[in-house]
Amino acid sequence: MNGVLLVAGREIRTRVRTKGFIIGLAVTVVLIAGITLLPKLLGGADSYTVGLVSSHRLRVPAAQEGGAPSIEWKEYADEAAARRAVLDEDVDAVLVGDTRVLSKGTFDERLGLLLQSAHREAQISAAGVRIMPLSMEPIGADARYRETRANVAFVLVLILFMLMVQTPTMVAMGVAEEKGSRIVEILLTSVRPWQLLGGKVIGLGAIGLISLVVVLAAGLTTAFASGLAADFPPGLAGIVAGVVVWFVLGYAFFAVLAAMLGSLVSRQEEVGPVLTPVTTTMFVVYGLATYATREPTGLVSTIASFVPPFSAMVMPVRAAAADIPVWQVVISTVVMAAAVAGMVRFAGYIYQRAVLRTGARVRLREVIGSR
Amino acid sequence: MLEIRDLGKTFGAAKRALDGVSFTVRQGEMFGFVGANGAGKTTTMRIVMGLLEADEGEVRWKGGPLDLAGRRRFGYMPEERGLYQKMKVADQIAYFGRLHGLSPAAARGAADELIERLGLAERAGDMVEALSLGNQQRVQLAVALVHDPDVLILDEPFSGLDPLAVDALAEVLRERARGGVPVIFSSHQLDLVERLCDSVGIISGGRMVASGPVGELRASAGRRLRVVVADAEPGWADGLPGELTVESRGRQVLVATDATDEGQRILHAAVRAGRVEHFGVEDPTLAEIFKEAVA
Ligand SMILES: Nc1ncnc2c1ncn2[C@@H]1O[C@H](COP(=O)(O)OP(=O)(O)OP(=O)(O)O)[C@@H](O)[C@H]1O
Ligand SMILES: [Mg+2]
Repeated sequence: MNGVLLVAGREIRTRVRTKGFIIGLAVTVVLIAGITLLPKLLGGADSYTVGLVSSHRLRVPAAQEGGAPSIEWKEYADEAAARRAVLDEDVDAVLVGDTRVLSKGTFDERLGLLLQSAHREAQISAAGVRIMPLSMEPIGADARYRETRANVAFVLVLILFMLMVQTPTMVAMGVAEEKGSRIVEILLTSVRPWQLLGGKVIGLGAIGLISLVVVLAAGLTTAFASGLAADFPPGLAGIVAGVVVWFVLGYAFFAVLAAMLGSLVSRQEEVGPVLTPVTTTMFVVYGLATYATREPTGLVSTIASFVPPFSAMVMPVRAAAADIPVWQVVISTVVMAAAVAGMVRFAGYIYQRAVLRTGARVRLREVIGSR
Repeated sequence: MLEIRDLGKTFGAAKRALDGVSFTVRQGEMFGFVGANGAGKTTTMRIVMGLLEADEGEVRWKGGPLDLAGRRRFGYMPEERGLYQKMKVADQIAYFGRLHGLSPAAARGAADELIERLGLAERAGDMVEALSLGNQQRVQLAVALVHDPDVLILDEPFSGLDPLAVDALAEVLRERARGGVPVIFSSHQLDLVERLCDSVGIISGGRMVASGPVGELRASAGRRLRVVVADAEPGWADGLPGELTVESRGRQVLVATDATDEGQRILHAAVRAGRVEHFGVEDPTLAEIFKEAVA
């Protein structure tokens, strides 16, 4: 175990000290903060400023959670001043003489509807008619957070995908470097192959986990700071914790596989080609997971969330986007963990045999049968 | 005592790289391992270090089979040097010390000492990639020595070193051997092997063709007559036994084995031909033994 920790420690120290790591992390944080804010920026405004010229304020319903926006009123002496304010974008619109509304260029649909209905109501009540507002009662499953959950799931997919591509690639590069430069010959006289492999996977995994936690923290901080968190569904903490667990499982699977493939080649340039099957698989996983953000309970998503390695990304996405029965999550986790264990055994076996065979790229078949 | 017993190794279907290779290196013995390119030196050393599995035979250390625990106390310098290019010299040496079981403080201390000893003090904080090849080789050697190993296995440790570094390395190895460590190194510099080693092993085509103490090998190989003549006419040695080589500035060297009876005849011919600078009956050099053994 000591050997594993030493190897892991070296990996962590050498990566964390590099400029590339720090810069990469900073860029990701900014990116994630941006993505988190995106729905907020694209969504409609939640308050408007409306000018008044010899008009009365309209009564709009008080702003409520996810409901109608509020309106701030501003009086103007004459229409000319009000028009100037509209053109300068000091106000979103101006109500003139209780009859006309002016706005720059085009109309904000939401504001239009709001003003029209408030105006109608004012006239009706002026006529002495009282209307009872419709009472709204949702029935069946609570779908209030569907949109937010899908968005949260989408962000998670992106984070998981970036880390799951990046970190195993680093593992494969490291393995090929050690093999190609023959450092492995010295290393293997003092540690066993599984210690070397395990140390590398754990060390780089720790780096990936640090990135994941930093990124999640950045996303959540942005969400809370901007008030977006108010729209978050309950149980978000569980979803985030689940993502960390799934990252560990998915990373372990792909990293060990990547290490195995990396041990087949002796040069850094060969790492890309030899990893192609893994990267392709990861893109398929990514595609499925993205699809699952929209169709979390569809047949394809459901099946994919049980099949390793697809489950590593599809299951956390489904759990974020919809309410998934606990037994499904448990079974999927157990199956994935078993797949990881199998992959560790298989890849460890190949790695041990291939890593000392220098020269041309080693074919899997050569390694499996031989002594 | 390190015993290499009947090692056999076949690559692929037909490439017999080693065939019954055996030799023994005692505590404190410096063993020179020589052989032509492709003779099997590296293959033997890799088997000793557990990097290759032998098809037949075994390696024994202190009377039992050699395992990983034993090997962790070995120091090894592979033929193809391997270092982390983007790691600082001192950090790298200390890291390998840690892998061999040293505490952080001990590893750091041993690294600093070796850096000093091998003349790398100014480069201790540099990345390995910034070092010249010879200096990288010194780092490689430090990596092999950092844990104060019980046995040293060095594959061509002298190649690529300048004469001063060769002397420094020779001194380090002698010192380790004096401390009771068996030292095995391969080399193509036979004069160096002859000067440094207590015993040598000559391998040819995967078989040991000679091994033993240098003195014994030389004595048993039969003495030879060596004549050096300056300013001699070409062809003066026609009809004489032995092999003639022409050195620079017209010096001609005649070496004849089993020619003690003809010594007088050769001397007369030499005196007639030019100025005799050297005439004597001697033990063969290691280079001569080597050439005869692998011929
Ligand atoms: N991995 C391998 N696959 C096939 N043949 C190999 C392999 N390694 C070594 N050989 C063969 O085994 C023989 C012995 O090689 P080895 O490297 O041990 O020689 P050497 O004595 O170290 O030579 P040199 O002085 O050139 O370093 C050579 O014929 C070589 O071609
Ligand atoms: Mg060799």
